[in-house]
Amino acid sequence: MSADMAAPLTHRTPFLRMLKSSGIAPAVPALAYLIVFMVVPICTLLLFGFVTIERGRIVGDSFTLQPLMQALHDPLVWRLMWRSFWVAVVSSFFTLILAYPVAYVYSEARGSWRTLMLVAIMSPLLTSALVRAYAWLVILGGRRGILNQSLLSLGLIDEPLRILNTDLAVLIGMTQIHLPFMILPLLAVLAERDRRLEEASLNLGASRTVTFFRVIVPMSAPAIIAGLALVFAISYTNFIVPQLLGGGSYSTLAVQVYEQTIVVLDWTRGAVLATLLLVTCFFFIFAIVTVGARVTRWNEVRR
Amino acid sequence: MSERKYSVALIDRFGMLLLVAVTAFSLLLLVAPSLIVIAVSFEPRAYISFPPSGVSLRWYSWVMNNHQLTDSVLVSLRISVVVAAICVAIGLPAAFASVRGSFPGKPALNAFLLAPQMIPGMVIGIASLFFGAYFAFRASDAMLILSLSVFCLPFVIRITMARLAGLDPRLDEASANLGAGALETFFRVTLPQLAPALLAAAAFTFIEAFDNVTVALFTSNVRARPLPVELYYLVQFDSSPAIAAISALEIGLSFLVMLLIAKTVGLDRLGR
Repeated sequence: MSADMAAPLTHRTPFLRMLKSSGIAPAVPALAYLIVFMVVPICTLLLFGFVTIERGRIVGDSFTLQPLMQALHDPLVWRLMWRSFWVAVVSSFFTLILAYPVAYVYSEARGSWRTLMLVAIMSPLLTSALVRAYAWLVILGGRRGILNQSLLSLGLIDEPLRILNTDLAVLIGMTQIHLPFMILPLLAVLAERDRRLEEASLNLGASRTVTFFRVIVPMSAPAIIAGLALVFAISYTNFIVPQLLGGGSYSTLAVQVYEQTIVVLDWTRGAVLATLLLVTCFFFIFAIVTVGARVTRWNEVRR
Repeated sequence: MSERKYSVALIDRFGMLLLVAVTAFSLLLLVAPSLIVIAVSFEPRAYISFPPSGVSLRWYSWVMNNHQLTDSVLVSLRISVVVAAICVAIGLPAAFASVRGSFPGKPALNAFLLAPQMIPGMVIGIASLFFGAYFAFRASDAMLILSLSVFCLPFVIRITMARLAGLDPRLDEASANLGAGALETFFRVTLPQLAPALLAAAAFTFIEAFDNVTVALFTSNVRARPLPVELYYLVQFDSSPAIAAISALEIGLSFLVMLLIAKTVGLDRLGR
């Protein structure tokens, strides 16, 4: 295509002008798509909590606050929310403890060690969460579970441990499955950090341990907070792991949302609980980010 | 003084040892479950033992001969390809606008484009289910594709945006100054530089859509379930080595795609 042909074309067709892109035009298809297939559906979800539904249709003019009030006065809902909350808090904390050393060692590693670590970190991310939950089912499962088989045959225990169908199994599964989501933001920050700060700290006589806790960790605080918020959110709303590893009678708010919508088919209650799940999840993320920002600023002042 | 120095060195050494130990444990924790699943899939007997009592492909052939499962693999493949195509088709121009464009409300646009990643998959799934029911179209392939593409769009936009932001816009200006039109500049200067990121984004979206269960559980067609949904119902009632075989196949597919990404773009691109 020669120059004198292409240049006037640009001014003629809107498509070409769009590609030249200094305006919002190229984002319009995605915007429209998200409005129609995300915003409208979520509005439908919110609406469904305030009306009576029969076979997917709204019955007459049946606007009511009753389902919401019923859910808010139901001690079971609060109990489930509390369990979702503390399980998410504990497992996010575990992931941080396990992820930080990985990200730090990665930032110090060189050559093929680095590649090897990256493969180990990324590989579970590309294995479905369901497959990994199943893996824990195999490992932790009753008498025939791999853990119990090995421990029994090594003579370390006499009775098979009961881990499956407890809080512990859910915590183990969630922590392992969400570990990469904590490692990745830390990795990005630690691998590209300004090393002159810690050199200064070492030169000024601080030990490596002190440098680690007073220079490196505070420096990566924003990534820690981002990771915690992300892992909290995906743990809080995970219903697969509690269902598979917690057993039939184990329930959380997210499990209850699934059951009301798919098993019981009470869509009004499902919509109310899903709304509660979404709102509380946003609230907790907001709290983590706000508190996190304050702690970070406090660290900056102290330094 | 020298005693104190000695103890500081000891603490440092202990700290380093602890870091390396936790790292080793975490890496093992990341990889081991998948490896155990693969090992267990070769079990010749009808129940799981570890290490497996022998090596057989019994459960693989069982899976291959199970039409319900092979059909679900085809459904998943078909749907993930369409989802990846939609996400790239609308995600690439959107990333363009949010990196290169200048217009009022740009930060709001960026936040909105990445909003689906703030919303739990389950909520996107249920919202789509209700939306479909309200506007009277049933759970179907179309519903599944729509909900999954909303869920996956941020991956494409994020990966493409990161790459676009790293490109030098002066190359495009140079191309324009040398007389190339917008179209020629786009296809011969910008797109080739973006190609690796686009490939990574498409591959990543494909895997996310192929593996997804939290959205798909709510929007999939009852008569043509995708593989993860089929697997989800199987896992609830059974833990036979057959499920390990399906899982191993899924892991194998993901590994191939990851290898493709690693060879073409580099793995570290994905995380950013």
